[in-house]
Amino acid sequence: MKVPTLLTSGLLALALAGCSSPDTSTAPETTPEPQSTQAPSKQTASAEKPSAEGLSLKSEQKGITPVTLEIPAIDVKTKIENVGELANGQMGVPEGVDNVGWFEPGTLPGNQGSAVMAGHIDSLTGPAVFYKLDKLKKDDEIIVQDKDGKSLTFVVTKTKTYPRKEAPVEEIFGFSYGSRLNLITCTGEFNRKAKTHEERLVVYTELASDAASD
Amino acid sequence: MNYKKLAAIPLSVSLLFPMGAIANAADHSEHGTSSMAVSNPATDLRATLDSILSEHAYLAIVAMQKGIDGKEDFDAAAAQLGENTDELSAAIGSVYGDEAGAKFKEIWSSHIGYFVDYVKATAANDEEGRKKAVSDLDGYRVTQAEFLDTATDGRLKAKELEEGLKMHVDQLIWAFDNYNAGEYEKAYEGITESMMHMFGTGKGISWAITDQFPEKFDKQSVDTPAADLREQLNNQFSTHAALAILAMQKGIDGAKDFDVSAAELNGNTEDLTKSIESVYGAEGAKQFNEIWSSHIGYFVDYVKATAADDAEGQNMAMANLDDYRVKQAAFLETATEGRLKAADLEEGLKVHVDQLLAAFNKYHEGDYDGAYDDIHEAYSHMFGVGTMMAGAIVDQYPDKFAGSMPSDMPKTGLGGMSQESNDSTVMWILTSLILAMAAGAVVIRKTRTENN
Repeated sequence: MKVPTLLTSGLLALALAGCSSPDTSTAPETTPEPQSTQAPSKQTASAEKPSAEGLSLKSEQKGITPVTLEIPAIDVKTKIENVGELANGQMGVPEGVDNVGWFEPGTLPGNQGSAVMAGHIDSLTGPAVFYKLDKLKKDDEIIVQDKDGKSLTFVVTKTKTYPRKEAPVEEIFGFSYGSRLNLITCTGEFNRKAKTHEERLVVYTELASDAASD
Repeated sequence: MNYKKLAAIPLSVSLLFPMGAIANAADHSEHGTSSMAVSNPATDLRATLDSILSEHAYLAIVAMQKGIDGKEDFDAAAAQLGENTDELSAAIGSVYGDEAGAKFKEIWSSHIGYFVDYVKATAANDEEGRKKAVSDLDGYRVTQAEFLDTATDGRLKAKELEEGLKMHVDQLIWAFDNYNAGEYEKAYEGITESMMHMFGTGKGISWAITDQFPEKFDKQSVDTPAADLREQLNNQFSTHAALAILAMQKGIDGAKDFDVSAAELNGNTEDLTKSIESVYGAEGAKQFNEIWSSHIGYFVDYVKATAADDAEGQNMAMANLDDYRVKQAAFLETATEGRLKAADLEEGLKVHVDQLLAAFNKYHEGDYDGAYDDIHEAYSHMFGVGTMMAGAIVDQYPDKFAGSMPSDMPKTGLGGMSQESNDSTVMWILTSLILAMAAGAVVIRKTRTENN
């Protein structure tokens, strides 16, 4: 930002040159504490250039566009499909029962807020990718990776089951100060009439503290 | 929408009972729904916290500069920073009780004290003292994070808060060290960054509070595209006021960092222009940029004339600022297709112009307490401007601000492993297939074979 703005500010700088009484030496006599000792470095501008080492100066989101998901505790290693919102307002689901769907309009995993992924518990005929999702325990790891191999590790914080119409969508998909990845699948009895299971299982996870690994 | 009603932000409000100026935006709009998206109890809370927190960063950096330079307005800047702490503590107290408010104030004030220690030690070339201040600031981060973790019932986690607080501390130290070393570009970039950072903090705290007390905030969310737009504009407009005032001070002082402060102000104009472009396109952005930049130029003229004791020049600059108001108001009325009225806009712009001139005149005359009061007013005023603009834009382009959240959970199971009889499930699905594909008997038979 600085380079171009410096150029455009040339006008301003020129314009003000006239008013700049170079009279900064009239430092006040009734001095407030902090400047009771005149900093000699200031006069010569010879103070060392500050080092940015170890400083955290810019908010950088750690989010990645996920392409694979791995959950070692339940032997899941799978591809990720991007899904959106269906016309009826439901979150979309992956086409492949062995894939996982990442809610692409929402948050990137690793960014502030809640990224959400959904996977089937079963197909028409047998178990699907998240069949054993209910076996996950606190501190189990979830690893997502982008196409360049950059990976982020999340750890399970809690597991909750909700009646299918009563899941707290705002909590699952909404903002959080930290970075969350929430996994959804179905559970409970299959309601033939509604063509869906009666409950939803949500595994809440958060970014591991020693977050990014390349 | 009535601009006048937005002119002042209720900064000393009780956060649990947000009321007053911003909320009025909704009442006065013919477009209630989109106004509510921009301004509701939750988003107003977020804006209020953003305003107080970002002004804290600004005043802290200004006070540190004034301190190391031994400027006469140091005391007034520090006192304004103290008032800002009072405001923030009262806000916290309104949510978590007076005792918590007092405790918060004690912790928060401690970190301002450590920054003062850091400046003092720097002035005295006391490396040990600087290290001590930094180590005290490390301790502060832990205490502050614990406080907020406990207050929010773990919604804000101490570990994550400490990271955020580290950034705040690092940014202020960085801006100060670079200022002291004459690395002004880094110093001023640091000002912009550190103010922006506080909007993330404001979002985090307001999110935790609204999540904790949903009933008190009409169960509204702080995290919506409309609220994000409002705070982006609030950030850019308030940074404009903050940098303009600082540049005018540096200009009349003939300070070495004047050029860079003016450049940073122009950088802010570019940021604002990008925001306008994202809504109104390149042509609109170009016009906006020209008009907006002109008023910065007139402020410069005013400073120049003041330095030269040229009353006529001052009058000329003020007359030009009057013309500017008309042009800027007409532009915004046209851009928003009449959602913002030129007459209201002109009044609002007059407030902005008058506040900046008053803050500058008082600074020049040595009425520093008055100057910093005006600075506070000018800074807060811009949050009304951002809110008003966001209200008009969201009303104009509601589709751009639809939420990115589904209304219902996904259907992640086909029933093949259901506890209920698998057979009947499969049969039922097959039945539907038969109905749907009445003509395809062969296909159905094939499906049945596969499924079994």
